[in-house]
Amino acid sequence: MRLQVEALDHRMGGRQILDKVSLAVEDGGFIGLIGPNGCGKTTLLKNICKAYKPRRDVVFIGGKDVMTLSAREMAKEVAVMAQENPVGFDVEVIDMVMFGRYPHRRFLEGEKKEDVRLCRHFIQKVGLDGYEHRSYLSLSGGEKQRVLLARALVQESKLIVLDEPTNHLDVRFQYQLMQTLKEQEITVFASIHDLNLAAMYCDKVIWMDKGRIIKIGTPEEAITENDIAEIFKVRSQVTVNPITGKTQIYYLPDAV
Amino acid sequence: MADGTVSMERHKIVQSRIQYGMFVLLLCALIVFAACFSVSIGAVDIDPASIFKIITNRAFGKALFARGWEDRTETIIWSIRFPRVIMAFIVGAGLSVCGVLMQALTKNALADPYVLGISSGASTGAVCAIILGWFRFMGGYATIFGATLGAALSILLSMGIASARGRIASSQLVLAGIATSALFSALTNLVIYGCHTGSDKTKTAQYWMIGSLSGADWGTAGYVAVVFAAAIGIVLLFVRDMDVLLLGDDVAESLGVDTGRIKRVIILMATVLTGVVVSVSGVIGFIGLVVPHIVRAVVGSKHIRLLPAAILVGGLSTMLADVVSRVVMAPEELPIGIVSALMGAPFFLYLIKTERDG
Repeated sequence: MRLQVEALDHRMGGRQILDKVSLAVEDGGFIGLIGPNGCGKTTLLKNICKAYKPRRDVVFIGGKDVMTLSAREMAKEVAVMAQENPVGFDVEVIDMVMFGRYPHRRFLEGEKKEDVRLCRHFIQKVGLDGYEHRSYLSLSGGEKQRVLLARALVQESKLIVLDEPTNHLDVRFQYQLMQTLKEQEITVFASIHDLNLAAMYCDKVIWMDKGRIIKIGTPEEAITENDIAEIFKVRSQVTVNPITGKTQIYYLPDAV
Repeated sequence: MADGTVSMERHKIVQSRIQYGMFVLLLCALIVFAACFSVSIGAVDIDPASIFKIITNRAFGKALFARGWEDRTETIIWSIRFPRVIMAFIVGAGLSVCGVLMQALTKNALADPYVLGISSGASTGAVCAIILGWFRFMGGYATIFGATLGAALSILLSMGIASARGRIASSQLVLAGIATSALFSALTNLVIYGCHTGSDKTKTAQYWMIGSLSGADWGTAGYVAVVFAAAIGIVLLFVRDMDVLLLGDDVAESLGVDTGRIKRVIILMATVLTGVVVSVSGVIGFIGLVVPHIVRAVVGSKHIRLLPAAILVGGLSTMLADVVSRVVMAPEELPIGIVSALMGAPFFLYLIKTERDG
């Protein structure tokens, strides 16, 4: 079991944000976390990567309680791609990606040839060939997002946790990013806004609403017209796309 | 910037390792030149050749050049002017390193020991040691001990006020600095005015408030140099951690950095460096703010390049400010703190302004 969460509670300002959330993610899966705004997706992800501190014996990664892991051990187990955070000091793209190699270095150890090769490999993977020496702050939102993905992949951990990774990206790069993730031999756990994108790439989706997990299953099982009506209050038509063979959702708002 | 932090978006000028090496060599050459120039200036005119010969003789501990000068000349050069030049370099370099450290800690380019009120805290400690005779058990190190203790108290207060989660907004930082600096300046003045015994002591205390290099001699230059070297040595062990820390605490933590440890190292080193520097020169403002900003624009924000360059530029610029302070009103000497503030304060305003516009 790559990731396991057992009865995770999270309260903030007297409000119950997460209510006894339990889930398990097997090795190698591509798991999507779906649900409306404010349902607790980000809070759950932050507890998993220790940005919020869960209690002991609640979150396990690779069989180990995250609260017993040092930052460095943790970084070898899980790479995090959070929603873009502002950086006040400029660095080159290659240096930004190179930060992903930090957990693999010993004290005072410098950059190895292998590190540079890996960085270039993943910079190319995210479609930023030739950007190595560009200044990070000069990039567009979407380009920054892809640099951060390269940094997370360079970390070479077995699990990658992403919070709405396709934000800021145009259609082409949304699919390219998901494709890149799919090609890696790692477990992916990502919150995803776009249900069609989730249906296309996820092996399993986890529905969240009001701080609880309400359904876990393959996209075919878990994404139904009833669920969408109940959770998003939007009428929809769910079919199987004849070309991709994947679940396809059309939204049918009442006003139209 | 929308998030309320000042950033440096200009791309660095120096790129390759060779360019960086040339830049460092150029700085070293300028420092030697500035040192010679600084030593030659003063009430007594001494020809450059003699200066060079005296310093060479003393530095190598034997008479490489035949003596063609008076004893008095040698005393002026070696015991009065030269230690002052060395001290100017170390004070400037130390304040610049403190600036870089505080900026890494707060992820904000407005942070420096003066703006955050840490220098004021250190001067309060120094004044308590000198006027009230506190920390006598430390013997000759009472002043430096008091200054370091004052720096430690003020850094805790200042960072306590300024810290929200992770990133520190400029407004919080500046306000925390104003509050801290006001409190400790008031304490310093309280000690001065509350203590009527001996006008001499009060004059000495006032000198701490403005900042001056006039007290430099070999004794103080020696121990300041030792502490400075030790602190730099330790800081250089953590350059990679500091690079990652600039991304923000949460991100650094998720990349495997023990943020608690690196922050303790930064706070400890910034405290010791500020304490030592202030204990010999008083509160000299803005060097820790201006120098790192300029150096970042030239060599970028990677600490392995930033720190050495900041040391050299900080040392050089303070040596030059010291020359200015001795020349403009000669034979009267202006405290160097006035010179640095006149040059640094407008720069500080410019930084705040670019933040608002940007």
